[in-house]
This record gives sequence, C-alpha cells and structure tokens, in this order.
Amino acid sequence: MGSDAPLIEVHELSRSFGGIRALDSVSFAVQSGERRAVIGPNGAGKTTLFNVLTGEIAPSGGSVRVAGDDITRLRPWQRARRGIARMYQRNELFAPLAARENVALAVSARAGPYRFVGTPSPAESAFADELLTRVGLAGREGVPARALSHGERRQLELAVALAQNPRVLLLDEPTAGMSPAETARITELIAGLDRTLTIVIVEHDMDVVFRLADRVSVLHEGRVIADGTAADVRGDTRVNEVYLGKVVVR
Amino acid sequence: MRRVFIWPAAAIGAAALVTFPYWTAEWESSRFATTVLRDILVFAIFALSLDLLVGRGGMPSLGHAAFFGAGAYAAGVATQRLGTDQLPLTLGAAALVAAALALLIGTLVVRSEGIFFLMLTLAFAQIVFAIAFQWTSVTGGSNGLAGIARPFLGGIDLNPPDRMYVLVSATFLAVVLLVRAVAGSPYGRVLVGIRENERRMRALGYDTARIRLSAFVLAGSIAGIAGALSAYSLRFVSAQDVGIGTSIRAFVMVLVGGAGTLAGPVIGAAVVLYVERILSSAVPVAETVLGLLFVAFVLLARQGIVGIGGAAWARMRR
Repeated sequence: MGSDAPLIEVHELSRSFGGIRALDSVSFAVQSGERRAVIGPNGAGKTTLFNVLTGEIAPSGGSVRVAGDDITRLRPWQRARRGIARMYQRNELFAPLAARENVALAVSARAGPYRFVGTPSPAESAFADELLTRVGLAGREGVPARALSHGERRQLELAVALAQNPRVLLLDEPTAGMSPAETARITELIAGLDRTLTIVIVEHDMDVVFRLADRVSVLHEGRVIADGTAADVRGDTRVNEVYLGKVVVR
Repeated sequence: MRRVFIWPAAAIGAAALVTFPYWTAEWESSRFATTVLRDILVFAIFALSLDLLVGRGGMPSLGHAAFFGAGAYAAGVATQRLGTDQLPLTLGAAALVAAALALLIGTLVVRSEGIFFLMLTLAFAQIVFAIAFQWTSVTGGSNGLAGIARPFLGGIDLNPPDRMYVLVSATFLAVVLLVRAVAGSPYGRVLVGIRENERRMRALGYDTARIRLSAFVLAGSIAGIAGALSAYSLRFVSAQDVGIGTSIRAFVMVLVGGAGTLAGPVIGAAVVLYVERILSSAVPVAETVLGLLFVAFVLLARQGIVGIGGAAWARMRR
C-alpha cells in the first residue's frame, strides 16, 4: 500500500447481538492526521464500533485495516502495540494506584512486562507527571484514581491513552458527565494535540464535535447514513431528522 | 533515621532465624521447636508462592498443591530412582517438574478469571491427585514414598535435623528476597495492573494471558521447591501433598495472614501450623477454631492479620 492509503480503513463491518444489528456493513476511511467524529443517537453502534476497532469485540463480517495492514484478527494488546489507544467512555483505570502509576503503566508497556529486577524507572514517572500536568492534573499525581473526582478521572483517562504514544486515538465521549468548564478545558486540550495524531471521537455534545472534527460520520441503527465535512453533515436533512433535530428540540 | 536500622535489624533477625537450633540447643524443647519452625517455614515458602497469584496477580488458585506435590514427588523420586543425592540436582528437578506442570495447567486456566479460575485450578489439581494416587509404580500410590533420603550439598550431609533446618530456613530467606524483588519490580507492578483492570492492561498493549502464565509458572516452581523441602524434612511424600486439603491450607494461610503482602503469608503459615501442631493438643476443637477464624477473616478482615496490624499501628502513631 502506498503512503496515500488511509490510516484507518473500515470495510463492510458488521456485528449482531442476538437479532440486533449493532453494526450493519459499516465502511469508512480516516486519513492520517484527520480528526473524525462519529455521531448518532444512543444505540446507533458507536461504542460497538470502537470495541471492534480495538479488538475487544470480534466482527461478524468485514475488515479493519490500519496503515494498510489487516488487523481484523489481531488481539487488543497487539492492536495497542500498533499504535491504537482508547479513552473509554466508562473510566477503565487502576483504582487503588496513584494517578502517576496509572499513567506509568501505560508508558512502561513499550519497555515490556518481563523486567523482574530493579524498580520502576524514575524516567517513566517523570514522563507520567509531565502528561498529568498537560491534562490539568498537576499536584494530583500521588492521589489514587478512586479518590479523584469524576472530571479528574476523565482527565486521567485521557492521560493514560496519550501515554501510549499512539498513532490513532479513539475518544469515547471524552466530555461525558463533565461540567461546562471541564468540557471546555478538555475540548481545548484535545484541539491542541499534535496534528499528526489521528483522532476518532464519539461525542454527543455538538459544540465539541464541531469544534474538534474535520469530518463527521453519522451512524444510525448500525449504518453510516452520512459522511462528510462538518458543514455538509449540518446541512444534511436526513441527519437532522434522525439526530441533530432531536438535539435542538432538547 | 529509622530506616538506617532496618537492614542491620533484618540481617540480625535472619542470622538468628537460620541459627535457631544452635542458640536454643540448651532449651528443653529445642528439637520440637526446631521441627515446628522448620515446617512453618516450608509452608511459608509455599504460601508466599501462592500469594504471587492470589495477592499480587489476582488469581485465586485452589489447586496450588499440585505443584507442591509435584516438587515433593520429584525430589523423592530423584533421590530414590536416579541415584543422586546432590541437593542442586534433586531440588532443581523438583523446581523444573513443578514449573513444567504449571506451564501445562497454566496454559489451560490463565484465560479464565475469578470463580472460574478457582474451579479450574481445583479441577486440574484433582486430576494430578488422581494420577498421584493411582500411578503406584512411581508414586507409591496410597502408601506414598517413605524413607526419602535427605540430600548432600557437596560433601555436607544434610541428614542431621539441625542442618536440615538450616537448609529450609536459608531457602526461606532466599524466597522472601526473591518475592520481595519481584513484587517491587516493573513486572510486579504489571501484575498489580492486571489484578486491578485486565481489560485496560490489554488495551495498553500487555499480553495479559502470557504475563499471567509467567506468574503461574514462577509461583508453581517456588511451590515445587517448598514441596521438595517438605519431602526432605518429613522423609515422606503422600498423595495428600497434592490433595485439596494442602491447597486449602495454603489459601487459608494467605488470607488469614494478609494477601498481597510479604509478611502476611509467613504469619499465616505460623498461625495455621501453631493451631494444628500446638493448640490442637491442648484444645480439642482447635481445627474448628481455625475454620471459624478463616470465616471471620474472610467476612470481617479481608486484609488479614497484616492489615489489622497496619491499621492499629497507623492509629497509634496518629
């Protein structure tokens, strides 16, 4: 594959749960460095899409390619090694460990787990502290994850994903449950990330979506019903019918 | 300031532990005490190895005796059949056989979690028990292996009880240092990460199944060493060493003492053997007391004796 190949290429991806088609022949491509939002009503298949992209759920059909390589059969840890990181919608942290240790576990994944001698390196801790400062958790490095506020845990969740030094960052509702001030903060933080990082973001807050995304894909009942620039999608009548219209009403 | 005294104090404590039969030689019950202490230390090694799984890695194994027993049989068979009485060879054989068995069983169980892990390890240990019980030509079946010769270390005969004790206590100290180093290493932190959130660890790029397997094999081989020391100490191996009773004893030791700590399994081993060997001769229902004690700890004090002690210490200092 040439360098023009999209970084992420999803081809006719399907997944059913019982009789429900959570993903129904979903195809789309994300270019390297692009910021793509995936929007749609609850139950549209957004989180299932993320679970299939990270390998936590196997698709019933279709394929996922990253940088031209078919990763459909790879396990989650192998995909992480290929540069896919995820910020979970429901925080997946190490509750009793300090914020610093949470991030350090992500940093040290690259050095490998089989280091039986010595202590965890101070360089990893220092790098972890740097990331915590970037996400706004300076001064909270030694606090156990379970003792952080909800907003802080979201920030930590982002720091852990960034610590993987990924090529692709999957953000599953990064601002869920945050106050307006926290939402604004984290939105600007994500907006300021390195432009070479490819970001796919699932989000309900349309201000956040239109602030961050270059392009938007709209999922509805497991299908992509619209795919285009933010302006295109805003003008699409069908999207307004199934999704955006409801937001306005709310 | 206080830290300065920790290492010298530990060194003195270690020296006192290893030389116990010599400085207590004048005591009337020195030999009995040495024997009890020896058996406590054998089980402390076993419990420490189990805690690598239960406390550090979040893998509640109820079949850990399979590796203890495998080590015991391997040491016994090595001395009886292979015609070698050199400690490095028989102890090495015990560790290797236990590690190989742990690799086999571990491959089949590490992908399961919680209660399923518990039941699978129990089931596989029962299979090993059945093999030990029925493979009479090698294991002696229901008679077990009796009259196992104690090994030599070079030209040193470890048959005298005092020397046997020194072997056990020195091995115990080595295992304590090993477990301490592993727990404090990057690998130890990875195990804690898997215990706390395996899903996230996978998402971070850790091959958690393989890491869990590595811990399972490491714990199994240490359990095998404990089993070999038990075989030398008692000069006897029976199918009971592989049985569910032995697995449960180790589990009780870990939980009562305090899982995920260095002192916990050691204290747990001391408490259980004290109840079994000493209290039971004075109190007729000692084993029942042990059972009730276990239930009380599971319900009321999940952190074990170490946890209770730590909390009390923190309150005193405040």
